[in-house]
Amino acid sequence: MNEKLEASAGLYEEAAKELVLAARHCEVAAQHFRDNLVPRGAAHAWAARGHLLEAETRLDEQAREHSRRSSV
Amino acid sequence: MPRGAYLMSLGLVPYGEAFALQRSLAGAVAQGAIPETVIFLEHPPVVTVGRRTETGELHIPEDAEVEIAETDRGGKSTFHGPGQLVCYPILDLTKHGKDVKLYVRNLEEALIRTLSAFELGGERSEGLTGVWMTRPPRKIASIGVHVSHWVTTHGYALNVDLDPAPFTKWITACGLEDAAFTTMARELGRPITVEEVRPAAIAAIAEVFGLELDELPADEGAGAGIWSQPIHASLAAR
Repeated sequence: MNEKLEASAGLYEEAAKELVLAARHCEVAAQHFRDNLVPRGAAHAWAARGHLLEAETRLDEQAREHSRRSSV
Repeated sequence: MPRGAYLMSLGLVPYGEAFALQRSLAGAVAQGAIPETVIFLEHPPVVTVGRRTETGELHIPEDAEVEIAETDRGGKSTFHGPGQLVCYPILDLTKHGKDVKLYVRNLEEALIRTLSAFELGGERSEGLTGVWMTRPPRKIASIGVHVSHWVTTHGYALNVDLDPAPFTKWITACGLEDAAFTTMARELGRPITVEEVRPAAIAAIAEVFGLELDELPADEGAGAGIWSQPIHASLAAR
């Protein structure tokens, strides 16, 4: 595979891993809020937010790279 | 001037859930998505195995109702159970001296101050980590930490009121042969709860690390899970 495409694929895989972790924390947060375990729910909510931002960083990185290489 | 940080008092949390939570929150702290965070909790009975645990340290009876969990913290095996106050500070050490040994000494200092609030004289022991009651030496609190990109996970476990037998009967805790373990209840000669000790532990951590702790609400204003948190709002506005 082309090296640049491989690098892009890697970035998207990393973003996907972060999003999976974010989704897991969201599910656990939802369950804890349902069980009235508010601090535990909040802790998982903040953890999810961290993973979302990490995924966003990866996607932004890819967008910047695309923008840099785009001739249009 | 104290720095704002979150305080999470989570109650009884299974080790695996707390481990995953710490790692994720550490990632969030590392990228500045949330402020430094201090977690207080208790674990259901669990033997945790650190990076330096040796074969032969574990001698858990087959009928013992205890989970065994591998961790990425330093140190050897230890036991956690209800009646033990566990503190996991998720701190950015670039703001606290960038020195892991100093960090561990500061955790010991926080423990010594917590015990002092109950007129118990905890001490350090030369060449060992943790906090001890002395003459004869008996360990009352253990420390095990992990640091990645200068952000800390794991922390300390203070024996408040639990049966210390698992430390010697189930494992050779911390790899210490013939060491004695004690609890605050045993030293005080009266029952004592984790809830009674936690305020002193929170005050000591805040004081030693120069933190102004902002506690997540226990039950009010939860809404959809995200509510106004002064420190977080200021971060989000950046």
